[in-house]
Amino acid sequence: MLQAIIHWSNVIFNPIIKLGAAPIMLIVLTLIAWAVGVNFFHALEGGIKLGIALTAISSIIGLLTGAFQPAVEAFVKSTGLHLGTTDLGWAPLATITWGSPYTLFFLLILVIVNIAMLVMHLTDTLDVDIFDVWHMSFTGLLAIYFGANLLTGTLFVVFIGIMKIFNSDLMKPTFNDLLDNWDNPMTTTHLNYMMNPLIMVFNKIFDVVFPWLDKYDFDAAKLNEKIGFWGSRYAIGIYLGIFIGILGHQPVGTIFTLAFTAATCLELFSIIGSWFIASVEPLSQGITDFATKHLNGRVFNIGLDWPFMAGRAEIWAAANVLAPIMLAEALILPGNSILPLGGIIGMGVTPALLIVTRGRLIRMIVIGALELPLFLWAGSLSAPFVTTTAKKIAPNMLKGVGSHAMISSSTKEGPIEQFLAYLLGKGQGGDMKMLMFFFLAMVAYVALFMWYRHEMLKRNTEYAKQGHKVNPDVMLKNKAAAAK
Amino acid sequence: MIKIIAACGAGVNSSHQIKDALEKEMKKRGYDVHCDAVMIKDLNEGLLDGYDIYAEIAKTDMSFTPKIPVVDAGAILYRMPAMAKPVYDKVEAIIKKEGLK
Repeated sequence: MLQAIIHWSNVIFNPIIKLGAAPIMLIVLTLIAWAVGVNFFHALEGGIKLGIALTAISSIIGLLTGAFQPAVEAFVKSTGLHLGTTDLGWAPLATITWGSPYTLFFLLILVIVNIAMLVMHLTDTLDVDIFDVWHMSFTGLLAIYFGANLLTGTLFVVFIGIMKIFNSDLMKPTFNDLLDNWDNPMTTTHLNYMMNPLIMVFNKIFDVVFPWLDKYDFDAAKLNEKIGFWGSRYAIGIYLGIFIGILGHQPVGTIFTLAFTAATCLELFSIIGSWFIASVEPLSQGITDFATKHLNGRVFNIGLDWPFMAGRAEIWAAANVLAPIMLAEALILPGNSILPLGGIIGMGVTPALLIVTRGRLIRMIVIGALELPLFLWAGSLSAPFVTTTAKKIAPNMLKGVGSHAMISSSTKEGPIEQFLAYLLGKGQGGDMKMLMFFFLAMVAYVALFMWYRHEMLKRNTEYAKQGHKVNPDVMLKNKAAAAK
Repeated sequence: MIKIIAACGAGVNSSHQIKDALEKEMKKRGYDVHCDAVMIKDLNEGLLDGYDIYAEIAKTDMSFTPKIPVVDAGAILYRMPAMAKPVYDKVEAIIKKEGLK
């Protein structure tokens, strides 16, 4: 009986799996969107767009690594710096992750977790940012890559997913404050905000030791205007092409080719990124319709992608200032293998800094510079996983370059979660020391979050005292503790 | 043609949702609307001059005051038609008031 099931599932699924990532995802995404109630042709439209986006991104990765890897190798040889990992930024990583059917599995699990938390009144946030589930899937797949199994990988993803939803409730009053709008349902479960607890520690140190630095804060909007196009995607591609070309002793013609190729690829990554989001759109709408239909009458906060905060100029000013700082850190940081390129404008870094410091720019920059090594290390750690996974989608990628050549992203959200995934994977793979470290790290992670939670409850109680409307669930229960 | 500009973090996700929703709904209401999506950090005075309406997600800090009408379009992102409707109504009101074509 069991033999027959295995036989027939092989007969049915093997030919599909052999088709490759783009056709698999076309089929899987279409069927799942259809299953949550999306009109079949809308579902199919999404599936086709996903197949196109996967194909497009793999050829652009090929274009970028094909042009850059020889120059990067020459750069490594001539400078002695072991920075052989090309930084592609977020869009290719999102693509690679959305190229795995497991992403839809993690999505399904996390939607169930979210609805269960809403039903049990553990949260007020309904997450409609379906696309960004790839952050969680990336973390889970990373754990599995290092040796975890599907069960522990999933439990880990569920754990982080729950913490993120708690965090979105805690941050809600701060979002209202920063938007200067106390009557909107916007919040976010974006993974980058899981750096908040650590940033809060630095922010406390600032409160005690360097409060006088705050008076040197400058006007972020004016700075951004001055930087203008010099900070745009293509300008950054040009600089880094020239930088790598010169340090790699390339001929002038090649330097121009590198500069223009980098600029082209960085522009195209974000265009193709928008195709991705469009491909998941029918599914996102379907899930939201399903959830709101079954939770009628509840007033929620709605979890969006982080950029509803992107109107705050500090996010961009800090990212612009941190870019050259990150490049300098990458050159001297022991254990880092990434040469910053696609991810150098750290949008996975600065929103959390804004929330914790509430827009104090000097603090954002100083704390950002201090925490950036974590991102570089996490990017270096996940590079073998990203490279292996990308090769499944783009088999011709990195053809003809050394086997140590890898790809990754320098500012991927959730560096701490990536370290935890590594420890979990290695620990489950049989390394008892790593397993012990994993449990110790989890205890520290939860303890730090609980301290952060208390700090945020204090902050939210303050907001309430100022006369703002704050959900009592995210305030201190005991007002006396607030006064202390 | 009425030109609208939307902006978000990477010019990729939220702003594209606003773009698609505005183009679709305004076409339904009989207007010829084109919407572009950009990164917020690329917004400047010169760029806005080429558009009729700026559809922001939430308050945007800029070093200048936009001369074109600004609409708060964040509610489109909630994916609930009833909440998005006031945004479309506001855009339509601006189109009528300014006599945009």
